[in-house]
Amino acid sequence: MRRVAVIGVGLTRFGKHERNSVELFAEAARDAITDAEISPSAIQALYYGNVTGGEGERQLHTSPLAASLLGLTNIPTTRFENACATSHVAFRHAVMEVAAGISDVVLVGGGERVLHIPTDHATEYFGFCSDASYEQPVGLTFPGVFALIARAHMEKYGTTEEQMAHVAVKNHRHGVHNPKAQFRKEITLETVLRSAYVADPLKLFDCCPFTDGGAAVVLASEEVARRHKRSIWVLGSAAASDTMFMHEKRDLSRITATERAALGAYRQAGKGPQDVDVVELHDCFTIAEIVATEGLGFFEPGMGGIAAEKGWTSVGGKIPVNPSGGLKSKGHPIGATGAAQICEIVTQLRGEAGPRQVEGARVGLTHTLGGNTATVLVSLFGRD
Amino acid sequence: MTERVITLKSFFEEARAGRLTGIRCGKCGELAIPPKEFCPACQQRAWGPVPLKGEGTISSFTIIRVAPRGHAGEAPYAVAVVKLAEGVSLLGRVVDMPLEALTVGLPVKFRPLVKGEQTVVGFGPA
Repeated sequence: MRRVAVIGVGLTRFGKHERNSVELFAEAARDAITDAEISPSAIQALYYGNVTGGEGERQLHTSPLAASLLGLTNIPTTRFENACATSHVAFRHAVMEVAAGISDVVLVGGGERVLHIPTDHATEYFGFCSDASYEQPVGLTFPGVFALIARAHMEKYGTTEEQMAHVAVKNHRHGVHNPKAQFRKEITLETVLRSAYVADPLKLFDCCPFTDGGAAVVLASEEVARRHKRSIWVLGSAAASDTMFMHEKRDLSRITATERAALGAYRQAGKGPQDVDVVELHDCFTIAEIVATEGLGFFEPGMGGIAAEKGWTSVGGKIPVNPSGGLKSKGHPIGATGAAQICEIVTQLRGEAGPRQVEGARVGLTHTLGGNTATVLVSLFGRD
Repeated sequence: MTERVITLKSFFEEARAGRLTGIRCGKCGELAIPPKEFCPACQQRAWGPVPLKGEGTISSFTIIRVAPRGHAGEAPYAVAVVKLAEGVSLLGRVVDMPLEALTVGLPVKFRPLVKGEQTVVGFGPA
């Protein structure tokens, strides 16, 4: 297998947009191609991620549409959908295409737009990512899924609502320095703790927002990447799945797919959690960040809440988590999130993150989770 | 080899009549909620139906206060993962119990919640 590098990244502003999800991806892709300093004609394949376009925009067959908006109509295109992990899944497949020697340059990313539809419609469409027989009819929502996980973690380890609130406060503090973030505003612990319950024990400020946005990455083979000064290497990219059904999870306090994907990515990279300098992980809810920091091996099971409380996951702490502001503050356009996390890690490893830069970062990790914790991707990146 | 004995349709038809049905692997004894082609424990295909008593305890729960379209008028409502006495778990709506009385470990009993054509797994007081 050939080495693969990221040679270009692009991201729209996250928040509310008037343009549709494919346009948002196209804008991000334009910036990624410009950043890569390549001609659009160098791109040999397009991998596009989107989740709710069929329901929210009455638009399917979106990958050739994305290519059409970019003016790249002679390349193979594929659309991916794996709930919130969508564009990280697309990324892994794009990496495999380049690693296998099928293409030298591949464009990958995603776009999502949901803020033009009412919240209860968006909640319903996101809910389609859980099972339609056993879960949707019960009225389970995604805050509900993570509330079940939070309750189990609290019961088993004594994790508190205040510890979860620390995750939100930290990610908002980080997001202040991200010009692309949806919310660039610090919040207090009291704001989180006094916000209304959405799905007990999760409150409004434990939840990431609905977001419109696009993200894109240009991947290249080693031969092409060597001609670029700012290439960041893909050291590993692994996927794992777990049962879709909440009723089949062996231990609700753990996300075993995270543990298995992390193991795979660390093995490919020949690295371990102790080698990682900066992390972008899937904090769709504050408890998700706590469980992920345990599953990725940064803290022992049960210590994630304490780590958040002690500031170990802040920029400047033991292991900086979500310097971009994470899904919580930067926003979560679900089809674009995986690619957006990769954009941040590449920016960090290039040393181009400005006021949110993790000094001296050489190895970065991205973690993206989809649906009822049934899809998890972990990728590792390095400066060399 | 056996045919798939319980489909989603038949599981919910039975549930509508108040009967919960699991499937047990004839090779290794694994118990599962249908449908399932291969046994996740031993990868064989030797399922047979087993009745479940519907008695269990709450292993985790939440109170949904922001509901999706279709359930909007029902909020707040409780959803729980219930570990059944036989060892498998099932997700269901908790009914006929005060929301503030719910705790992990609380005993509950299955009851079908019938809404038009749809049958939903529910749990009420044990």
